[in-house]
Amino acid sequence: MARYGMALDYKNCINCKACETACKEENGILMGADKHRIWVGTGEIEGQYPLLDLTSNVFHPSQCQHCDNAPCEEVCPTQATYTDENGVVRVNIDQCILCSYCMNACPYDARYVDDRTMTVDKCNFCAETRLARGETTTACQNTCPTKVRIFGDLDDPNSEISEVLRTREHYSLKAHLGTKPKLFYLT
Amino acid sequence: MALRELVNKIVPIKEDFSIKSLLGFKKTPLNVLVFFMIMGLLLLLVWGLAQFLMHGHHAYNVTREHPWGLLISGYIFFVGTSTGLCIIASLGHVFGIKEFNHIGKRTTLLAIITLLPGFIIILTEIGHPVTMMIYNILTPGITSAIWWMGTLYGLVLTFIILEFGFALRGNHKWAVRLGIGGLIADVAAFTTLGSVFAYLVARPIANGPFIPLYFLLTAVVSGAFFMFMIYGFKHKLNFPEEVKITLVKLAKILGLLLAVTMFFEWWRIITAIYGDMPERADTMMRIIASTSFQLEVLFAMVIPFVIILVSKGTALKALFFSSIAALISIFLMRNDMVHHAQMMPMQMLKKTEYQLAPTWIEYSPSPVEWAIAVGALGVCFLLYYVAEKAFDLDEDDHH
Repeated sequence: MARYGMALDYKNCINCKACETACKEENGILMGADKHRIWVGTGEIEGQYPLLDLTSNVFHPSQCQHCDNAPCEEVCPTQATYTDENGVVRVNIDQCILCSYCMNACPYDARYVDDRTMTVDKCNFCAETRLARGETTTACQNTCPTKVRIFGDLDDPNSEISEVLRTREHYSLKAHLGTKPKLFYLT
Repeated sequence: MALRELVNKIVPIKEDFSIKSLLGFKKTPLNVLVFFMIMGLLLLLVWGLAQFLMHGHHAYNVTREHPWGLLISGYIFFVGTSTGLCIIASLGHVFGIKEFNHIGKRTTLLAIITLLPGFIIILTEIGHPVTMMIYNILTPGITSAIWWMGTLYGLVLTFIILEFGFALRGNHKWAVRLGIGGLIADVAAFTTLGSVFAYLVARPIANGPFIPLYFLLTAVVSGAFFMFMIYGFKHKLNFPEEVKITLVKLAKILGLLLAVTMFFEWWRIITAIYGDMPERADTMMRIIASTSFQLEVLFAMVIPFVIILVSKGTALKALFFSSIAALISIFLMRNDMVHHAQMMPMQMLKKTEYQLAPTWIEYSPSPVEWAIAVGALGVCFLLYYVAEKAFDLDEDDHH
């Protein structure tokens, strides 16, 4: 029993997209621009030379926030979306009816339709692959060359993520919606 | 004929009802036109259903960013009209407005035959309808508005079919009891459908109490327009005195509801724009600038309201034609509502995503979506025609 979360030292991101590739490879995600569990948002450089706004050129890796109060789980009519014993928000594809309510309810655009099963898919912190094999890292974290991602048990005070969240300032996305995300952006 | 006797034991059907009587309509140009229109709509539906069975959701133009499309709108249009008709049917039997007694049976039937096409549409919108039936029972998501909506509509259909059956048998006591049950379940079901959108905290334009209330209001408006259309066709615009009295009364109720609807819309727009709140004000500005919204306001609200206001509800012929335009506009209105809830992209740090900067989400239904949503109207008309031939829909002397 754990309560998994992820901290993102996003200012270290170099937009190499290795995480997106590793996620697709590890979890067998279909090719195609709208078939992705994780992504890197890119801010273009704003302004005109020589007055360029370098702070606008940032990379924001993101994905499902694994909310403690997940709107997608709340709206699911068949309980296909559920939070597992490790606090990971997952989809039971046998129960998913593809009503798409979760896709509309998710404030983070973290869900998409897997064309093979015609059910809704999302990041599950590699629960069916790496975690199931007993590993303790996710594919995106493992492959990141600048170590942007820190994955671990939020309930374990000695875990790296707990340590980082204690010592560094951080924020969550759309926290005002009360979703209680378990993804933290380190500032 | 054993089957006929068996059916007759349950609900009385007309003596002369047969396949021959169904095909033996007078071949006037209007009748032939309606015949081909119904056949055309049914062919469209069959083609759409075949495409759905072969390709599933791949036949639709819904996307990751816009997962709900025309089929959701079509469903809302039909079940909303049904709810409106159910409320109008109850005006006589449940609320005791005697001018509405004689339309009770027919209006209840209309509520049934508008609900069924809605169900056909939603079954094609849900990706796995059989799984839905199994897991709605095995693992019910009771915090889900969709679960409640589906369950309540199951109740509604049961209530109004039984109500109609008892009314046909002349058992008014049970018809009224079931009518009350149907009314309560129907109001609950359609407002719950509104709450499917209203609960979306992620969508500021939809979130809040407006949509369930707006759904209830526009359901009756939609049902009233449907009544004018059906009664206009039935009497070929030469309304008997008794029908005229009822329709004028209905027109006055409709006028009041249209005024309230416009009032609702006005305050929805103003409160959304005021303060320039991101994701709400900009979305609303885009809504009011869209042609479909302007058409919806003009044809479903302003024009019929002006006709009723100027004629004091007596211009029934004008209302008939205006009702057809209004129903098309209400279809647009439902489509607009579904689209408006989704058109603001969930930016979520995707400043550029795969080289594409997020913009307003566009959606255009695929031919298959159009075929199913519009073709379902053929089922509605066909069932009405069959029911008209099979049952005595005019009230007996009981009242």
